Amino acid sequence: MAGPAALPRRNGELVFEAPWQGRAFGMALGVVQRLGLPWRAFQDELIAEIAARPDAPYYDCWLAALERLVVERRVASEPELAAARRRAEDEPA
Amino acid sequence: MTKRRDPKPGKDRHGHDHDDGGGGHHPAPETEVEIRARALEGLLREKGLIDESFIDSVVSAYENDIGPMNGARVVARAWVDREYRKRLLADATAAVAELGFGGPQGEHLVAVENTPTVHNVVVCTLCSCYPWPVLGLPPTWYKSAAYRSRVVREPRALLREMGLPLPDDVEIRVWDSSAEIRYLVLPERPAGSDGLGEEDLAKLVTRDAMIGTARP
Repeated sequence: MAGPAALPRRNGELVFEAPWQGRAFGMALGVVQRLGLPWRAFQDELIAEIAARPDAPYYDCWLAALERLVVERRVASEPELAAARRRAEDEPA
Repeated sequence: MTKRRDPKPGKDRHGHDHDDGGGGHHPAPETEVEIRARALEGLLREKGLIDESFIDSVVSAYENDIGPMNGARVVARAWVDREYRKRLLADATAAVAELGFGGPQGEHLVAVENTPTVHNVVVCTLCSCYPWPVLGLPPTWYKSAAYRSRVVREPRALLREMGLPLPDDVEIRVWDSSAEIRYLVLPERPAGSDGLGEEDLAKLVTRDAMIGTARP
């Protein structure tokens, strides 16, 4: 794997199909670590999301699982999440 | 079932699909999930739960350093070193640590060996559990509902579809990753590879062979 132009491919596939997936992945690791939780805490949410929406793309379930974990563990409330989304919509990246 | 699953394009904020070939009225609109991810990251950073550089380093690690080339080295070592092979089969976590690999999702690694009469294949039926330290992150097909259900129900037929027909006298063992255990398939060393050194042997070991959906 050489050079910044070489996309990260393993066996012909990208590790993350889009940058947001990598962010969501890193966030989950960070949150679990920071809260001192076993990985199982996130994994259970992921399992529930996948079961609830079996046809949803995998990382959509991942992000939803992370949002659920954040609310369940009282890191943020649903209104706070909603407000953050509205701000993000109003302020493009 | 095809191995490669292309992602469906997402809807942009105005509800348009990306696959209409258009999108000329605004440059690369963010999808809904992108907005939610960005919002969540901003919120978590505000609350001091995560910082940007942590996420950057995780992404970089899994894009560059952590991948199936690690597992390939483990397999090649097991092929040339009989005592290492025994240690790998007895305690894979410790054995891969000898080569410097470890970390998240590698705390309870188990290596399962293929033989002329036994072929192993790994799945996580409920989500996507996968031995990250030796294989990196799982491919899309591994996470698909089709793979997760069919490999348990009809492994021989599925493997044949994926390009690995196995004779009926080969037993197929399907390992469903439990809460903690992560499996690595130790494939058989290919015939005719006797003259190769470890480095060249590692090049023969594919990710799919270490999942069990292919052979080197």
